[in-house]
Amino acid sequence: MRESLVNRDVVARTASESEYEILPHVNLIGLGGRSIFDRGASALMPLVDEIAALRDKHPMVIGVGGGTRVRHTISVALDLGLPTGGVAQLVGAMEECNAVFLNALLAKHGSIQMPRDHFWEMSLYIDNGMIPVVISIPPYHFWEPPPEKGPLPAHGSDFGLFMLAEVLGMKRVIFVKDQDGLFDRDPALHDDAKLIPRATLAELEKNMPRELILDELLFEAWKHARHVKRVQIVNGLVPGQLSRALAGEDVGTVLTKEKSA
Amino acid sequence: MSGDGGQGQISIASALEHATLTQSEIGFDYDPVAVMPETKVLKIGGQSIMDRGRTAVFPLLEEIVAAKERYPLLLCCGGGTRARHIYAVASDLELPTGLLAAMGGYVPRQNARMLQMLLAKHGGIFIIDDDFVKLPLYFQMKCIPITTGMPPFGYWEKPGEKGRIPANRTDAGVFLSAEFLGAPRAIFVKDEAGLYDDDPKKNPKAKHIPRISAADLLALDLPDLVLERVVIDYLRRARFCKELQIINGMEKGMLTRALAGEDVGTIIHA
Repeated sequence: MRESLVNRDVVARTASESEYEILPHVNLIGLGGRSIFDRGASALMPLVDEIAALRDKHPMVIGVGGGTRVRHTISVALDLGLPTGGVAQLVGAMEECNAVFLNALLAKHGSIQMPRDHFWEMSLYIDNGMIPVVISIPPYHFWEPPPEKGPLPAHGSDFGLFMLAEVLGMKRVIFVKDQDGLFDRDPALHDDAKLIPRATLAELEKNMPRELILDELLFEAWKHARHVKRVQIVNGLVPGQLSRALAGEDVGTVLTKEKSA
Repeated sequence: MSGDGGQGQISIASALEHATLTQSEIGFDYDPVAVMPETKVLKIGGQSIMDRGRTAVFPLLEEIVAAKERYPLLLCCGGGTRARHIYAVASDLELPTGLLAAMGGYVPRQNARMLQMLLAKHGGIFIIDDDFVKLPLYFQMKCIPITTGMPPFGYWEKPGEKGRIPANRTDAGVFLSAEFLGAPRAIFVKDEAGLYDDDPKKNPKAKHIPRISAADLLALDLPDLVLERVVIDYLRRARFCKELQIINGMEKGMLTRALAGEDVGTIIHA
């Protein structure tokens, strides 16, 4: 027990092919901040109805983004010269508001706002048909590592949700946004942007879009991940897309770790 | 409020209103402010200091108490042998890296509580992450805040390429604390005077390295390192904490000299 944890051989000895799946049957749904919440009732109310109808069929946790308030927060914080860790510390509060909004709308259908790391209460909620609602940003706070480039915290909300799914052994993450999926460029800015309906992680890495709809670190983390097989991006403004994705249909963009997932 | 972001959103106009936050360019000047640059961020090693008990800890505490009037000190604790045991059992159970990282946090907190009890009569207080914002008060009161060295990533620690040991442990947390506070140097109190070209515990002829850059250190590609690998990588991108000093806390007076700014031990620089 006194050996160095930095020694490569010691680290390699803790590896194994398999890893225990903690809550493999649960689905993780990410609801976009800017793409869904900032649109108000027109985008959110149909999704609330859809989620309420889905809860008996699919055990799920819903993570929420922060949207335009997060962007405003970061803009002001960076203009003030706050360090990257200070910026990271501020973001969660704006997501909390969206979690409360969603919970207010879904409470009568059994939702419950859950602190993001209260995993060990999840079986209680899920087994009773409830829908835990969490914020998405990971708890890196003041300890956000210095980014490769620029001052923006790299460990964002999409990464946070991905890691929540991965550590609990979940198989898939569905991001609900306001676009039909992942495009080769931002479709809001470029009319000729092309949808990528399906790609493996390796294919995507070879041709990573410059304007990404998800955090780059999500893909970085996925490389060494054991559990998440499928990351899907669907258009939440199109009724039924989320239901179809949960039913296993290839709507929107389907990203897979392996070729045949 | 612009009311409508142009795409049907209730939007706030801001420099990043339409940016994809995954880009490195923000499109405006960023001039970061150091939060509390005077802070001396110290790591008290887990295995190297705490696990040795009284013989290693008591002389260090004397130096810390003597220094507290002169410098704002933030003590961060390592884990040590019990943390290694947690990683060994959890790995055997094939539990994920994030769970190991969350469990690995318990031991440094225990160590911090131990130091707090010993330093209580000299103003030692145990603090958690949320108390970081109260550091100005603690320093004003000449207290010695004591905390875990573990960063709060926990379940959100990324799985590594090899093995299950979380990459960000207490060395990373201590560096990141110093970087956030804007301290130019973090001091790691261990049981070796820093870096050698071989393991000095196994090879008595190993040569001491007083100063080395992060890039040169990584280029050496050593099978074992005195600090967590990830810290050396972070150091290269640091905006504030550009130096890591590793000292031998078993040698009397070393900590006092390091606090006075002397280049004892090994300095790894950005």
